[in-house]
Amino acid sequence: MGRHEHLRWGSLKVAAMLYAGLSAVTLWPTAASAEEALVIARQLDINSLDPARGFCDTCQIYFSNVYETLIGLGKDNATLTPRLATKWESNGDQSQFTFHLDPEARFSDGSPVEAKDVKWTFERLKNVKGGAAFMMDGVNSVEAKDAHTVVVTLAGPSSEFLNIVSAPYTGIINSDVASANGATAAADAETTDKAETWFLANSAGSGPYALANYKPDDELRFKANPEYKRSKVAIGDIVIKHTKDAVSQAQLLESGEADIAMQIDPDTAKTLKTDKLNVETIPSYNFLYVALAPGAKGAPKLTKEIRQAIGYALDYDGIIEFTVGGAGAKTPTPIPNGFPGTSGLPEPKQDLEKAKELLAKAGVPDGFEINSEFPSMNSYGVDLSLLSQKVQQDLSKVGIKVNLTPQEFSVWRDHVRGDGIPLTVSFYAPDYYGSAQYVQFFGMMEGTPWFNRAGGKNDPSILNPQTAELLKTALASGGDDKEKAYRDLAMGMIDDRIIIPVVSPNLVLASSKSVTGLRYSACCNLLMDELARQ
Amino acid sequence: MTRYIVRRLLSLPLLLLGIVSLAFLISHFTQGDPLSAIVSERQMDDPAAVAAAKARWGLDKSLPEQYVIYVGNLLTGDLGISFRTKQPVAQDLLERLPATLELVIAAMLLGSTSGITLGVLAARFRDRALDHAARLWALVGSSTPVFWSGLILLYIFSVVLGWLPGPGRLDARSTPPDGLTGFLTIDALLTGNMNLFWDALHHLLLPALVLGWTVMGIVSRLVRASMLDVLSQDYITAARARGAGEARVLLNHALRNALVPTLTIIGFTFAYLITGAVLTEAIFSWTGIGSYAVDAARSLDYPAIMGVTIVGGAAFLLTNLVTDIAYAFADPRIRLS
Repeated sequence: MGRHEHLRWGSLKVAAMLYAGLSAVTLWPTAASAEEALVIARQLDINSLDPARGFCDTCQIYFSNVYETLIGLGKDNATLTPRLATKWESNGDQSQFTFHLDPEARFSDGSPVEAKDVKWTFERLKNVKGGAAFMMDGVNSVEAKDAHTVVVTLAGPSSEFLNIVSAPYTGIINSDVASANGATAAADAETTDKAETWFLANSAGSGPYALANYKPDDELRFKANPEYKRSKVAIGDIVIKHTKDAVSQAQLLESGEADIAMQIDPDTAKTLKTDKLNVETIPSYNFLYVALAPGAKGAPKLTKEIRQAIGYALDYDGIIEFTVGGAGAKTPTPIPNGFPGTSGLPEPKQDLEKAKELLAKAGVPDGFEINSEFPSMNSYGVDLSLLSQKVQQDLSKVGIKVNLTPQEFSVWRDHVRGDGIPLTVSFYAPDYYGSAQYVQFFGMMEGTPWFNRAGGKNDPSILNPQTAELLKTALASGGDDKEKAYRDLAMGMIDDRIIIPVVSPNLVLASSKSVTGLRYSACCNLLMDELARQ
Repeated sequence: MTRYIVRRLLSLPLLLLGIVSLAFLISHFTQGDPLSAIVSERQMDDPAAVAAAKARWGLDKSLPEQYVIYVGNLLTGDLGISFRTKQPVAQDLLERLPATLELVIAAMLLGSTSGITLGVLAARFRDRALDHAARLWALVGSSTPVFWSGLILLYIFSVVLGWLPGPGRLDARSTPPDGLTGFLTIDALLTGNMNLFWDALHHLLLPALVLGWTVMGIVSRLVRASMLDVLSQDYITAARARGAGEARVLLNHALRNALVPTLTIIGFTFAYLITGAVLTEAIFSWTGIGSYAVDAARSLDYPAIMGVTIVGGAAFLLTNLVTDIAYAFADPRIRLS
């Protein structure tokens, strides 16, 4: 057979095989599957699996389920509950806390969880200076009194410390195992700790699950920790499958390949067949906000009156309708609804006449021009581009012309931290249940990220002298006094009008009918040991 | 020809160095701070944490120093550690390259064979119903965005009909076969796991069809044009006059010559898709090089950007070489020297 014949017959064979394959496609058996694995579709935004370094939404889920914290958060998303610590007490001014550990608690390798592990974990979290190191700010010392008693002494009172140790980032690590693999809690840990790579393939916690396998941008597999006794773990294997967009997550769920989809937006949720799936839309603790920076380079005059005018010019109902199809809530202040200090706050509403009156009073009756850069991304189901366009539209009604520039997130962050951006939009999700974190991030007092970003050094008039004092009071008090102090702080931030929250998008929990126990936790996102199959 | 191939292979490292140098400069002159991928929002306000991160990732050194260190490491096969995944870039690429190759090879096979077949038929039945239908199909294929066709086909075949699985390379409940080649279909066959093989093939079909449709559109139009040109040549008339059958005229006399320009396009398309199948990879949750490149670029992950550039550059250079060699096989008049 000549070379020509070979080519022709070869081509024909390939074509015949392809056609046979295509025509047989419907006859192929369905994919084999191990019944026990529960599949969760969500975007894996992991930046590390090391509790001292990771800081992301999926990290919250991972750490919560693999590294048990001293304290947990109850189903009401407000009450602190025992976990590794069976009980705890504080001194009178809440500057010293004593935790009593469960003597039965075991790491996944069977070794007991001891006070030395708590001390080592907290010191490492502080010294590695990773994403959540700020949670250990103000911790003066951690002392292991005996094998099961830990005493934490703070530099000053903090009624929120107990909430902080319920945050997943403070999950306790098996210090012996981690140290043997390059981890250290020493003061110079930021340069001498070499364990980050080890944590990508191994875990050393006492939570209900342990790491089975991690492939970046592909999947995160959990296996039940046989040493975990605090609750009955119903599902042995859980896989978080990296699925970037909401539509793909919905398709995986509807085709039965996924059991839970975690980031379906309200619009996509409307297309789901509810006869086969559980679809629940609940309020979230995440919010998106407009931020003003009077001290930013090139910013127009943004006095308090003008900032308040901008606040009145925004159409909050319209923003919620436009960005999430009405599936969201207003947030009066940059503290999520339901957190301490937010009860009964006045709801924001549009008042164009009031806005124009304030602008006239501030000497700019015809409005002005302002530059805005925003991160070109979708956050918690909200397209920041759409949100910015709506803000632009609303402000044009009072004569304010907004020049929009989309940016990659990394570029936006560089600009917002550098010269500042006169007007921008961004987002925030809680790191734990507690209001101090918001004051420390958004409050107009020295040193907070948003005081700096708003250009506090160039325009000291934005400093709110009451903020620092009120925060001190809130951290030193409890009960009604604490609630009142946080409420005063919340009202102060409304009055400052540097941060103007515009929408708290609802969260869609979608799962197959067979899954039970799915709920949203304010501290931990998703608690896997509560999941089961009917 | 052997001497030609060896000479071309020897020139590869030099060309790659040029690509690497250019990519290094361009990526470091973009706006934005790569620290945003490494240091958290709050830590950015802590000068000690920022300084520690810079030192750890070598960002405290001058650009020429960084370049010399990078090229030095490159010579030892060290592509650095990804800022984003925190894994060695070489490991990231090795994990993702087989996924992309499996998808692109399947798409190229589907797209090229169907494109060549359609092109030949369209030329043979010029201006008749078959020609019009083939041209319309090709036009739709080459102009339909994959993010649209991908989502629509997924919805129809996966959600509505339930014939094919959703996104991903395997059912998420399945355990991937031991990584022998990284091609899931081949690894499943090598380990004798037929259920896994069908599973992987099932998952491969839809993305390969979507990507292959685009390839088919390009190839069929080019083959049709080349075939029309060749079919008007005197030697084709002579072949027919000698009594050669139509199939023999089309396949042996016309197609062989018409394929030479098509090979160039197939070669370039293959190389382009190694790093360019981004949308298909995103829609089908395919963990390949394309989506890795986009994520790297968005987070200013310099080591990963450089790694992808090297892979993409090597793909283009090697494909060029293979295309040149294929010319000689397709057209005996071409001699490589």
